[in-house]
Amino acid sequence: MSTAADQTHEWVAEFEAAARRPLRTRWRYAFIHTYKPVLDDAAYRSFDAMADYRAWCETNLPSWLGYGQDV
Amino acid sequence: MARTFDYPQAEEIRDALARHGVRYLFLGKSGAILLGFPDTTQDADLFVEKTAANSRAAVAALRELGFALTDAQAAEIEGGKDFVQLRNGPFDVDLVFAPDGIESFARAWERHVEVEGFPVCHPDDIIASKAAANRVRDRETLPRLRAFRDYWLRQRRS
Repeated sequence: MSTAADQTHEWVAEFEAAARRPLRTRWRYAFIHTYKPVLDDAAYRSFDAMADYRAWCETNLPSWLGYGQDV
Repeated sequence: MARTFDYPQAEEIRDALARHGVRYLFLGKSGAILLGFPDTTQDADLFVEKTAANSRAAVAALRELGFALTDAQAAEIEGGKDFVQLRNGPFDVDLVFAPDGIESFARAWERHVEVEGFPVCHPDDIIASKAAANRVRDRETLPRLRAFRDYWLRQRRS
């Protein structure tokens, strides 16, 4: 069974591996675009307040995207 | 449409925002990745100081980069929105003018970090904004992000 200490040790190994890569390489590995329904369907959206944006996400996005408080 | 956000584009946005004198910080996962956090993301979150002059400068820089902002959209951004999602340019960008969990731009700027010319929020601010947002995706990321913050601070001290 994996412990929290094992998990942290594994993460630190990942951080150390990332630190050995130049930023350009890290960036290339990091930005991966996949289509997100609804969210990616408009070229522009704006919200007066962050609370409005959060409420819009809760109401309009599929919960599995993870932009709401619950799945 | 398949979209990428490659490193030369990141350099372009950094340089364009600098040319226009925009006060901003990379926030969210894109900020953490700049600091060395190994993870994936799809867009850049830019925490932009919310003043009319700064917003005007940001609009000018974004248009220069190829974002197709109408005059009405530009006026909205300049008028003071808290959050703007842009999918009308060469890559995806979210402009965040009032992120959850961060007291003020000035406070975040005081302790920000420069990474190869990219201005980035301190990891404590990245964590604070995710903790305050408390979305499912944030809760999934936070334990590993906190471990990264501790690692990053150890590296800075050594």
